[in-house]
Amino acid sequence: MNAAFWIISAITVIGAVMAVTMRNLVHCVLALILFFLGIAGHYFLLRADFLAVVQILLYIGAVAVLILFAIMLTRHVTGTEGPSELGGKWWAGMGTAIIIAGLLWWVIGRDAVMSMLPAGEAKTSVVEIGKALISDWVVPFEVLGVLLTAALIGAVVIALEEVIRRR
Amino acid sequence: METIYQALRSWFANAPDGVLRGVAIAIPILFIIMVFPLIFAFTTLVERKALGRIQNRYGPNRVGRWGILQPIADGLKLVLKEDIVPAKADKVVHFLAPVIAVIPSLLLFSVLPIAPGLVPVDLNIGILFVFAISTASVLALFMGGWASRNKFSLLGAMRAVAQVVSYEVPMVLSAVAVVMAAGSLSTVTIIHAQSGGVLNVTGWFVFRPWGLVGFVLFTIGAMAESARTPFDIPEAESEIIAGYHTEYSSFKFALFQMGEYLASIAMAGISVTMFLGGYLGPGSGPGLFGGLISMFWFFLKLAAMIMTIIWIRGTWPRVRVDQLLAFAWKVLLPMSIINIVAVGLWRFLQPRPLAWVLTTVWVVGWFILLTKLSATEKIQKREYRYIT
Amino acid sequence: MSVPLNYYLMLSAFLFAIGLCGALSRKNAIIVLMGIEIMFNAGILNLVAFWHYKLFASLTAQMFAIFAVAIAAAESAVGLALVIAVYRHYKSVDVDEMKSLKG
Repeated sequence: MNAAFWIISAITVIGAVMAVTMRNLVHCVLALILFFLGIAGHYFLLRADFLAVVQILLYIGAVAVLILFAIMLTRHVTGTEGPSELGGKWWAGMGTAIIIAGLLWWVIGRDAVMSMLPAGEAKTSVVEIGKALISDWVVPFEVLGVLLTAALIGAVVIALEEVIRRR
Repeated sequence: METIYQALRSWFANAPDGVLRGVAIAIPILFIIMVFPLIFAFTTLVERKALGRIQNRYGPNRVGRWGILQPIADGLKLVLKEDIVPAKADKVVHFLAPVIAVIPSLLLFSVLPIAPGLVPVDLNIGILFVFAISTASVLALFMGGWASRNKFSLLGAMRAVAQVVSYEVPMVLSAVAVVMAAGSLSTVTIIHAQSGGVLNVTGWFVFRPWGLVGFVLFTIGAMAESARTPFDIPEAESEIIAGYHTEYSSFKFALFQMGEYLASIAMAGISVTMFLGGYLGPGSGPGLFGGLISMFWFFLKLAAMIMTIIWIRGTWPRVRVDQLLAFAWKVLLPMSIINIVAVGLWRFLQPRPLAWVLTTVWVVGWFILLTKLSATEKIQKREYRYIT
Repeated sequence: MSVPLNYYLMLSAFLFAIGLCGALSRKNAIIVLMGIEIMFNAGILNLVAFWHYKLFASLTAQMFAIFAVAIAAAESAVGLALVIAVYRHYKSVDVDEMKSLKG
């Protein structure tokens, strides 16, 4: 179990680092997919099978493909960038990230209770999740449906702006 | 896996437990990576023979009796050929794409039950797992097409992505109907829900109004997903050479072909599991003898599905890109949502004949309405000008 | 034999920092969105870890994770539509060049 945790964590971290540092945009997305796969592996390890599969279906099947389409629509198809890929105040961003990481690690390291918690034996069944979604969580579920519809229409309207104006 | 473990336990009572567990895990894996590629090899032969028969020619008949050794000759030829990588290609991605094309297709077989208790893994999210894995296969197509630095490859890749993403939706929704009726996502439970009836046959979901609609929708979606011929615009030879695998040769090309065929065999297996009762049939059941008969029924149905797919390939012309996408969004998607409502009606209408009549009327009515609405041009009666 | 909870928290803190770094220091708007996705996923990993170690009642954490995944998907769709709209206007997806509001 421990070895699995370390291997999957290594994959996840390598994927994440590559996703934000590679020069070629398409390589970035492929690294991001590796990162998503790593996260899905962690979910399997944590016995959240349903979430793991949703992660693969949604992130790799939809979000990554969407990003690829966006790259194809906005860049040269080779995905290469110009000479400098860092933004103007990149050092500020890096500094913020390092400070936040340090603070979080310090806080987590200080907490003695967290490391003492026993591992759960929990295993979800899809039936439980389904029942919870239409009983206790029905209002957020419906609101989510409305939100997704709104996002869908919004995305179409923003992306089609040009076509609408031309008419 | 558990069944294999129990059987091993009863045969080798004093073997160490760890070894038995290991063997019980290894057997399904070996089965998947040995038997299904073999089926793939002979599917290519059967396909070429059947297409030859449809097109009024012989098909392969030189290598061995009835050309039976043709797949081996093809495989050897492909392995021995030179492996060409375009000079401007993205080497790493170009190399990874065929590998990624095969892995998801092999993973798809891991939830297919071939006899009672004989399923590699009985995931409680089996069907969802299948869809997740089959979406991942689109990445291989994109990577292959993009890394080749060839405009035809890229066109093929973009067509493939658009097609797979839009056919994914009706396919998943048509599976939702089955999941609602069976009350579970697990492939084993879905097969259980279809048992009973006359000779273990009339319980199959395909013999319900919603099941028939779902079966047709799922088969169309699966064929589009694995880019089989009526929907093979990602690799349409007459338009874009060979689409995303234009720049692939040798073993990498073989891997792409293998991934594609394995995916369509696996999808045929999933559709057998969900609609045609999986391993159920007259005489199927637990035990050694019943298990063998179940296996026979499963592979017979699988073969029938594969033959149907080949037959469709031989008889239908390729659809256009706009027709393909319009068909997915204007006919298949609404039909699959209507089908979900039909399952709900079926579930709650009590006298069975009433449920039969109402669901049939509901589904057929909507089908006629949708096809009338989405018809863009009126089909004229054909005129024969030169025949008087 | 499983790793303690704070390993997961540390991992997700680290991933969050990587995502933040990418979102703040890269020029390309699409990479900024990818950094945000990485941050989202790090947060969701936390929730699932809390669920596994039973810090919350039964399914709460997992429900939160499911809703967060769905909202992240909506966010990325709208974000990418915005990127495409911006590209049409500026002919670039460089976040440093979008400064017409600067006095």
